[in-house]
Amino acid sequence: MTRELLPIASGARTWAVLRSLAPVKLTLLAFGVLVAGTGAGMVAPPVLGHVVDLVTARRDEFLLPVAVLVVVALLQGGLTALGISLVAKVGEGVLAELRERFVTRVLRLPLEQVEKAGAGDLTSRVTRDVQVVADAVRIALPTMARASLTIVLTLVGLLVLDWRFLLAALLAAPIQAYTVRWYGGRAMKVYTAQRTAVGEQQQQLLDTIGGASTVRAFRLGEDHLSRVRTRSEAAVSLTLRGIKLLSQFYGRLNVAEVVGLVGVLVTGFILVGNGSATLGTATAAALYFHSLFNPINQALALADDVQSATASLSRIVGVVDCPVPDRGTFDGVADGSVKVSGVGHSYVTGRPVLSDVDIDLSPGERVALVGASGAGKTTLAKLIAGVHTPSAGTVDVGGDPRDSVALISQEVHVFAGPLIDDLRLARPSASVDEVEAALARVDALAWASALPSGLSTVVGEGGHRLTVAQAQQLALARLVLADRPVAILDEATADAGSAGARALEAAASSALEGRTGLLVAHRLTQAESADRVVVLEDGRVVESGTHADLLAAGGKYATLWAAWSGSR
Amino acid sequence: MLWRAIAGQWRCVSAASALGAMHQTGEALVPVLIGVIIDEAVATGDAGALARLVAVLIGLFVVLSLSFRFSLRLGERGSERASHAIRMELTARVLHSGGGAENGRLSGELASIATGDAKRVGSVNLALPIAFAAVVGLVVGAVALLRVSVPLGLLILVVAPLMLVLAHLLGKPLERRSEAEQDRAAQASGIAADLVSGLRALKGIGAESTAASRYHLTSQGSLVAAVRAARAQSLLEGSVLTLTGLFLALIALVGGKLAVQGDITVGQLVAAVGLAQFLLWPLTIFSWVNGLFAQGRASAKRVTEVLSAPYAVPPAAGSLPSDVRGHLRLSGVSSDSLRSLDLEVRPGELLGVVAPDPADAAALLRLLGREVDPTAGSVELDGVCVSTVDVSSLRGSVVVAAHDADLFEGTVASNVVGDVDGALDASALTLPLETPVSERGRSLSGGQRQRVALARALALAPPVLVLHDPSTAVDAVTEVSLAAGIREMRRDRTTIVVASSPALLGAADRVVLLSDGRFVASGTHSDLVRDHETYRAAVLS
Repeated sequence: MTRELLPIASGARTWAVLRSLAPVKLTLLAFGVLVAGTGAGMVAPPVLGHVVDLVTARRDEFLLPVAVLVVVALLQGGLTALGISLVAKVGEGVLAELRERFVTRVLRLPLEQVEKAGAGDLTSRVTRDVQVVADAVRIALPTMARASLTIVLTLVGLLVLDWRFLLAALLAAPIQAYTVRWYGGRAMKVYTAQRTAVGEQQQQLLDTIGGASTVRAFRLGEDHLSRVRTRSEAAVSLTLRGIKLLSQFYGRLNVAEVVGLVGVLVTGFILVGNGSATLGTATAAALYFHSLFNPINQALALADDVQSATASLSRIVGVVDCPVPDRGTFDGVADGSVKVSGVGHSYVTGRPVLSDVDIDLSPGERVALVGASGAGKTTLAKLIAGVHTPSAGTVDVGGDPRDSVALISQEVHVFAGPLIDDLRLARPSASVDEVEAALARVDALAWASALPSGLSTVVGEGGHRLTVAQAQQLALARLVLADRPVAILDEATADAGSAGARALEAAASSALEGRTGLLVAHRLTQAESADRVVVLEDGRVVESGTHADLLAAGGKYATLWAAWSGSR
Repeated sequence: MLWRAIAGQWRCVSAASALGAMHQTGEALVPVLIGVIIDEAVATGDAGALARLVAVLIGLFVVLSLSFRFSLRLGERGSERASHAIRMELTARVLHSGGGAENGRLSGELASIATGDAKRVGSVNLALPIAFAAVVGLVVGAVALLRVSVPLGLLILVVAPLMLVLAHLLGKPLERRSEAEQDRAAQASGIAADLVSGLRALKGIGAESTAASRYHLTSQGSLVAAVRAARAQSLLEGSVLTLTGLFLALIALVGGKLAVQGDITVGQLVAAVGLAQFLLWPLTIFSWVNGLFAQGRASAKRVTEVLSAPYAVPPAAGSLPSDVRGHLRLSGVSSDSLRSLDLEVRPGELLGVVAPDPADAAALLRLLGREVDPTAGSVELDGVCVSTVDVSSLRGSVVVAAHDADLFEGTVASNVVGDVDGALDASALTLPLETPVSERGRSLSGGQRQRVALARALALAPPVLVLHDPSTAVDAVTEVSLAAGIREMRRDRTTIVVASSPALLGAADRVVLLSDGRFVASGTHSDLVRDHETYRAAVLS
């Protein structure tokens, strides 16, 4: 299968979506309040300059300027607090809307498309990209907004004092611009490499520690210790390279600071000397410039985060914009019959996985699919469930397969949250009794009730850990609650170990009661108890009949059964 | 632990401290120098003084910039190296053949101790130089202020800490609230990731719209929490801004009066304003450093708990004969669920073990791999009690391949070492040797994973091999050929297969049935199927 990554939105499209999500009035209000708050702070340096002038003139009239400073302090604090919380409201609102649209769209995407892109693509978008954008909204956005407003308003303040002060301050700008360009490219590379290295180190630790008993059993300790050492050293050395780069970045900004500061002081010297400015004005200019250091450092240091947030945003918007194909219309009502006629399928042209398969399932029938790995069992299951459309032939389940066929695949998942919520995904309206009945039917009620908080126990990621067998029982209970006429079990009992496998088989059998069932048989006992056995070989049906018939026929299935059951 | 982390990097830490102190001194002197420039150059119009003082200012910046750069780098180096050392020590302890470090901890938790906690312990080496530098900065700043004016200096030195205490008191409840809300706000991302990883399960039962509407609720809940968190945070920032502003007003008032009276110069007033703002930083840094130390101590405790965990089996120095025949004898063994179990495995025998209770199977495997020593009875290999043998050398002769054994990242070739060709044949593996294997073998299907694991065990060709359920994830067709492969590959070498698959048991020389931790029956698979009701129920139902 060739990888077809999910789309990435263009910059223009990303901004258009963002703009459409932000409420205009609230955004303007937030911005206005923040400008007012920052602006209030701008009054302080000239007032201090005025104090200096009063001192020079030997006039003890400080009450007014001090009163102004007090008012400024109150206004600046109050308005900034309000402004930040308004900005957060806008940002968080947009973020929430975006992640909801993203999740809703992902849920509607055809599984085929997701599989073609590879699971990693979607997972990294939903974990990393959503997190990067959330962090940017929470940390970078307010800081960046305030810092850039402070910078702009300070420059305006300098201009008001005397345009020549502004000119002197701007001497620092080319150095800063150069520093950002110098840093940006390098930092991106080092930090990407560093994040990868830290990720690999984490992965190696999980691999080694998670497999510690295997490492001990096979005496792989030395090998693994050196694997961890290599990964950890790589992460350390890249982290230190990042720090070195950062320290050089600040070093260059220091140059800009001293150039600007000397410029402003020298300008003050000249202007005071020729009488076009007072000592107070020169002081105010110096204070203005000194107060620029922090916001400039913050804004430039965050430029990086903003850049990666933009990249993440376009990957999120790309998914949000994905077209959802028309489901098509299906006449008729599914009655539990399945008609597979002349079906062939290939993922890569010229390499058929299935050819010319005919299988009919009558309502309520239970059919076991037997075959070696690669015989096409899983593909056939997916075609019937409507995950893929067959390359040739037709699959008819009476109605829309997405409403009438339930599929349990090999990968089981326990949804994070209370156990009962996990089950109610299959039927939101299910009462506690119905949920308990479904659990009882798959023989899971005993352990589920014995959980620390019963059915309300938080399970899944970060919660109470369930065993693989328990997770598979949950999947079967969901199947019961979803109550579809046709159910397909694709090796759902495979990985539970021999003792667990038998219990799961019983649970599966009970869950399938009253439904048409197709099960990809793993243990031949499953085939034995099915109504009919279909043997697949190299994508073709080679035998079909009841267990007894096939044994009597003495074909492939009979040989297999003899060897498997050991009844030589 | 904490002191060991610092001591291990004392060179980096002390150099970073010295440079950090230099940097803070420089920072404290910048406002003083600006004041001097205003007094001696701008106010007087003395160009020579201006040139001289500007040169001093540039020199000061060079010193503070360089000392900051190298202090930061050295501090980080000390921190990262200490974390690395702890990480390696932890990994070595977890992998130690004596075991026991896990002690019920999940692997994710252990991995996070080796990353997060190791980092937090190491961070102490970053915090220490910063704390030292802050103290020096504080002293230099205070001396400079007192030299400007004793009353103004005292005022600032008394009010600044009071103000910070006030900000701290105001901030604490807000910060706590904000942290609680931030946790809730983070839920939305977590749940989204969870839904996406369960996408197949959702689509399999048509739960897409239910999941979407449920996510809407989670996301809106997170939104409310996030906005509240931001509000608490903004209140905190707003009050700090106001307090600093009021502080400035106070200095302007008192400083202005002093200047008018001629007690201080204009330049000194400017310097005092600058110094007051500078002093806020070293003062705030203390609570931050304190927090880092508290975190470091908590992390150090977790690290120490793992490092000092007792071994699961006591170290032993004995050795096995150089040529192990593979004669295993368990006499009266009690361990976990096993009770007075007697079992003999003859050299070269292929023995099947059926244990309907998984606990019995697990107990037997732990015993054979010497992950535990029996509470009663003994396990002997070629007449040597295995509890007296060095664990690591024992595992060279007795390999236990657990059902859930992990594959490791690399290729098939890097996982399967030894008699590779024979092992691949026996495991019915057609994967090319260079096939990449991702962490835990996730890139392979369940069946492939299990067969690579089997091939790994077979390829080692140990004198005694114990296989646990080696074929549960493969289809019935393949299982039959695995059984034949194992028999062929292990000819004349002792092999124990703990399983309930008829295909595997049928290939064994003899099968033993365990029940309630005891020996129940022994015979060939077909005899037992024919004669023994419990056995038949265990393997054929």
